[in-house]
Amino acid sequence: MTRGVLLFGFNSPKVNYYEMAEYTAKRINHFLDLPVTIVTDSFSVPKKPTYKFDNIVISKPDKDNQFRNDIWINKGRYQAYEYSLYDETLLLDVDYMVNSDRLLKVFDFCKDYACHQNIAQLMIPKGEQEYVSRLSFPVLWATVLGFRKTEKTEQLFACMKMIQKNYNHYANLYNFSPDVYRNDFALTIAHRLVNGHYFDQTNILPWNLMHIWLKTNLFVEKKTKFNTKYTVIYDHNKNGKVKKEYTTIQDMDFHVINKDVFLELM
Amino acid sequence: MDTKKLVADMKARFEHNSAKHYLKEKYSSKLCTVEQGGYWKADINTISFLNSIKSKNVVILDLYDVPVSVEVKKLKEKLSDVYNTVMTEWHDEYKELENKR
Repeated sequence: MTRGVLLFGFNSPKVNYYEMAEYTAKRINHFLDLPVTIVTDSFSVPKKPTYKFDNIVISKPDKDNQFRNDIWINKGRYQAYEYSLYDETLLLDVDYMVNSDRLLKVFDFCKDYACHQNIAQLMIPKGEQEYVSRLSFPVLWATVLGFRKTEKTEQLFACMKMIQKNYNHYANLYNFSPDVYRNDFALTIAHRLVNGHYFDQTNILPWNLMHIWLKTNLFVEKKTKFNTKYTVIYDHNKNGKVKKEYTTIQDMDFHVINKDVFLELM
Repeated sequence: MDTKKLVADMKARFEHNSAKHYLKEKYSSKLCTVEQGGYWKADINTISFLNSIKSKNVVILDLYDVPVSVEVKKLKEKLSDVYNTVMTEWHDEYKELENKR
């Protein structure tokens, strides 16, 4: 039984996702002791890489997606099933900061596939969950997706492919904006489809995905290779005034929404 | 970076509620475990229930509402072990953060 991590990292004109993937892969090796495969394109691979991936899959990027005035190459995630060389795979976003071995537990909770439904937001204890649309159901997060190569998992990725190719139709059906393609939405809908429009809880991880949301900054005390201790500073807007609040965290994995914050930590 | 100076310069206030929330998120996942084909959270309710069972085996619902037939002693030992380890770590870190201002 082989285990490994799969990252997708295509550089955009503004963000070097390959470099982020290298940084994340080093942390995965250190904390999880797992090999890492990257899916990328030949333009993103640097001439002198600082890290040797277990495997590099060269794929043709689909650049037909925009987010905040930048090309966002997040399409094609459905190919993870085909590209993964491992029996058990952890498909991870490159902006996920690995600070512990917690992700290994995903494999224990993964029958076919497993992902997060509930999120927590650091510094915002009463943060709300995201819904596909106002009258719809909660979003499943594609940030951390563990899967085994089973028939059900193959169906899930086939559905994600179908949803990506017919995104406008599903946006219309589920009443969300089709302007920006999101893997989270494709996963949410695909999960329902493979379960016959029934919400199967057994594919949901029983703990929350921690987000570092906007207006939240992270600082490291000592920039060591595998630092796990951070000071978190948050701009709390209360009654029209911004108050700075902070806390410290340690050995906690999190997903950084703001790419600039992630790049600062590297 | 001297984060203590940074915090002082920004006049940032230590937010205890956020610290408690972070600890809960961090340690809740550590309480989840797999045993005898079921998915469990090592919490007070489950451990207390297992303590009250006199028979060798019992059927209980796991985290996903799946009924699982378990060997009581074995599950109780596993969950108690996980609970004690995780809660001790949680308590230690809480004490450390509690002293911050």
